[in-house]
Amino acid sequence: MRADRAMTPRRVVLSAVGLVAAAFFAFPVYWMVSSALKPTNQMQSTGFDLVPTSLTGQHFLSAVDKPGFGDALVNSLVVTLVAVLFSLVAGLLAAIPLARLRFRGRKGFLLLVLVAQMAPFEALLIPMYLMMRDADLLDKMPALVLVYFAATLPFTAWTLRGFVQGIPAELEEAAMVDGCNRWGAFRRVTLPLLGPGLVATSVFGFITAWNEFLFALVLFQDQSKRTLPVWLSTFQTAFGTDWGGTMAASTLFTLPVVVFFLIVQRNMVAGVTAGAVKG
Amino acid sequence: MKRWKRLAVGAAALAVATSGCGMGGSSGSGGDQGGDKTLTVWLMDGSAPKGFTDELHKEFEGQHPGVKVKYEVQLWKGIQDKLVTALASNNPPDVIELGNTQTARFSAENTLTDLTGSAKDLAGDQWLSGLKESATWDGKQYAMPFYAANRTVIYRKDLFEKAGVTKTPTSREEWLDAIRKVKAANAGDPEFEALYLPGQSWYVWLSFLWDEGGEVTRQDGKNFKAAVDSPEAKAAVEYYKQLVDTAGTKAAKDQDEATPQQYEVFAKGKTAMMVALPWEHANAVKANPQLKEVTAAFPIPSKEAGRTAPVFLGGSNVAIPAGSKRQDLAKDYLKLLSSVKYQNKIAKDGGAVPGTSKDVSALASDPVAGPMALAAQHGRVTPTTPKWGPVEAGQNPLKDMLTAALTGQKTPADAVRDANAKIGQALGG
Amino acid sequence: MTSTIDTAVPAGNPPPAPPRADGRRTGGRRRPLGQVLTPYLLLAPAVVAVLALVGWPAVLVVLTSLRKMDLGELVRGQVVWTGFDNYATVLGDPEFWKITLRTVLFTAACVLTTLLGGLLISLLMRQLGRVVRTALQICMVLAWAMPILSATTVFQWVFDQHYGILNKTLVLVGLSTFEGHNWFASGASTLFVIGVLVCWQAIPFVAFSLYAGLIGIPRELYEAAGMDGANPWQTFRSVTWPTLRPIVMMMTFLQLLWDFKIFAQVWAFRQGGPNGESTTLPVLQYLKGIAGSHFGVAAAVSVLMVVVLLVLTVQYLRMLVRSQEVDL
Repeated sequence: MRADRAMTPRRVVLSAVGLVAAAFFAFPVYWMVSSALKPTNQMQSTGFDLVPTSLTGQHFLSAVDKPGFGDALVNSLVVTLVAVLFSLVAGLLAAIPLARLRFRGRKGFLLLVLVAQMAPFEALLIPMYLMMRDADLLDKMPALVLVYFAATLPFTAWTLRGFVQGIPAELEEAAMVDGCNRWGAFRRVTLPLLGPGLVATSVFGFITAWNEFLFALVLFQDQSKRTLPVWLSTFQTAFGTDWGGTMAASTLFTLPVVVFFLIVQRNMVAGVTAGAVKG
Repeated sequence: MKRWKRLAVGAAALAVATSGCGMGGSSGSGGDQGGDKTLTVWLMDGSAPKGFTDELHKEFEGQHPGVKVKYEVQLWKGIQDKLVTALASNNPPDVIELGNTQTARFSAENTLTDLTGSAKDLAGDQWLSGLKESATWDGKQYAMPFYAANRTVIYRKDLFEKAGVTKTPTSREEWLDAIRKVKAANAGDPEFEALYLPGQSWYVWLSFLWDEGGEVTRQDGKNFKAAVDSPEAKAAVEYYKQLVDTAGTKAAKDQDEATPQQYEVFAKGKTAMMVALPWEHANAVKANPQLKEVTAAFPIPSKEAGRTAPVFLGGSNVAIPAGSKRQDLAKDYLKLLSSVKYQNKIAKDGGAVPGTSKDVSALASDPVAGPMALAAQHGRVTPTTPKWGPVEAGQNPLKDMLTAALTGQKTPADAVRDANAKIGQALGG
Repeated sequence: MTSTIDTAVPAGNPPPAPPRADGRRTGGRRRPLGQVLTPYLLLAPAVVAVLALVGWPAVLVVLTSLRKMDLGELVRGQVVWTGFDNYATVLGDPEFWKITLRTVLFTAACVLTTLLGGLLISLLMRQLGRVVRTALQICMVLAWAMPILSATTVFQWVFDQHYGILNKTLVLVGLSTFEGHNWFASGASTLFVIGVLVCWQAIPFVAFSLYAGLIGIPRELYEAAGMDGANPWQTFRSVTWPTLRPIVMMMTFLQLLWDFKIFAQVWAFRQGGPNGESTTLPVLQYLKGIAGSHFGVAAAVSVLMVVVLLVLTVQYLRMLVRSQEVDL
């Protein structure tokens, strides 16, 4: 059934479709990068400027030079990674019983998670702020970690539960017949198969936390604690927005996500093939 | 006198602390900002050059031994949320800067310290009237003017010369005339624009409205009523349309001057005029340094020859949050800021119109800032009611009005009537 | 009990620590208690976190919706109960139901497009060679990761009336009616562009999730179907779909919740204009509540939004509660 490695017409057509799709997704990103490379007075051009006529590295230089970039990068990485790790751990712990076990209160919890997703998160800004104030967490990194943890956890638990369910329980049962206990079966069969699901979920969590602006702005007053999105907004000033700088900074801003994706992708998807062979 | 007052405040604070009510979080809730001798000052990004604040704070700390100024530059993006939450915190900043259109919302809610009594210490008789009005609520003064800027017509001297326009327009008719001439002289270039004027530059429209003698609202005690449904407003829309049509500007009719940023368009060198603030001119020059020598400004002309049209005054006030625990220090800070020395520096280093000094001589020689500073004294502001902020923040009916009239969707008469109804709704509700 | 915690710990830390599970089987007799407690212990961190960090603030929002909470009340910490006044303000707006309907339709269109797009891309990925697939994946991650500020700006530039590369390209290929075409002249057209942006950024996540489900399907199942002589559609129906269905359902539900709440993108284009024609509920919340610091009103809109969402998803939730085998 699977196409072989030869270049059948079918493969060529599919590859072409794949490349068109890739171009569709990449185009706005390309536009961001090319705008970052255009001189300011060519940003809005009436000519056909699909390929920029002249290039400048000045916007990238000014972005990297802009005060606070290093601090913001570190802050963002720390807050985001810690929050994603927390929510993956707590989410996976919750996903297993939700998908595999039957117990009293399960549906109640599912409903809780669902309804938790319905509230507009920005609407929680003021109550959250007051909570953090009363807990004496303002201007402290844990506050933001908690917020991002809270923002991504319901979703993480919910999707991971779906992924666990997607893996036939029979595979685990077969492993148990082969002499594994329940945990061993889960670890050797289900967990590797969960790899891609964990990738999708953790990338999602990463991007959500990585992009968040409002809470990061409000919970910190100390400028050394700015995160990248807040730093990014320093290009919008009373004296107009430096769009060239914004686009250059956004490009730098996007790169860590891609790196994160490539790392988790390699580590987690590798598990799938291994697991699939055993299963 | 001052020492006595400070003593009283200290005693009051002590009483609160020992009685154990409230204030619990004040100790260290914001890390290092909790100390009694720290004055937290929030100014906006771009408001004061670093040299200015460095000197100001050094002098202030010299005058007040043991006091440290904690200066934090705030970003414009998200400032509303930031201010609201900060004011609700246990330890709000002691001095904040508020945009003038933003001030009413804070003063009307009693969240700022009443400065009416202190005005005389703060050069109150020198205050820029437009800004002063923006910080007044119910007869009381809740903030001190900081600085202002307003729009002028930035023009290309070389292109004017080439087209045979020898003197800058001093009336609306002359302005139209200049546009026609410059346009005709460059008729060969399809990209050329005699005047770049986006359809929703409603601050420019306000100039025409006020020039006609019209108003956005009429005040009736504490209540504001929409007043855009007037012959004056209609005439202002008609003149705006005439400008746009005469210039044949390619600027979008459903955008304001920020999208695209008009200085980026002007910087391309194919535009002879734009109605803009000095910083927009500065940015255009930065993107295209050749413009420096060939640009200047003239005030927005009035319909009556020889007069200039009233202008919308953009700018900032500084205020003391009611919850600040260092009220007297904060007032001293405002006092220093309002002193002639620093007001002159605002003009000289910042290129803006100072808020508490009528002396604008530092700006006079500048080809762009000079005309601005003159016009600023007749600066006006949008209605000073907390209900105006939301009108402007989102779906500004005045912008929709201009777009509808310019695209021909509505007649000017219909457009002003509909805008009036919407503004009335927003102010009434 | 300690033993159950031990079992749980490595699970959250993939790839897992060396197997320590082998010794566990001795606990066979105590299983019933362990089995009863296990799910609760595993759930505990999530439950505590959700209740404390989302649940409690949400309760505060509901309470706020019954209070007058403007800037002054907030700053002074005053509590002024006003019953259902805030709700009356919101529901009294003649536009409210129109805006609600518009939001629902916009959400539905976005969700359908996203899911369909994501499904097709995930199936495509399965068929692609490694190089093209990786290229596609990286492009999708880029799209997904692009900051919303830049994404909305770039889309505005691309769709700009005069400077936009889209109109210029369309004119170049002979569609001269697009010369100076204004994509933001009407609410519907504005929402269309916003929808393209939303779907463009949402499809990658759905595609990755569905693809994750797809590669979990053992190859043997396809081979078996192939031997039975099933055509591709039948294979999809009998092999692929059963695995994807729970993920599709889950994604539909999540996208529904998210798209319904989109604010930043809708606001960035025309602040809900022209003439309020692209105003959705979150925009209404901003205009009526946040912009004027009427936090009580904003909270009331939040509550109403949750109510609308509950109504929209009641069928799904009912199935969830009723079904024995909760697999939706």
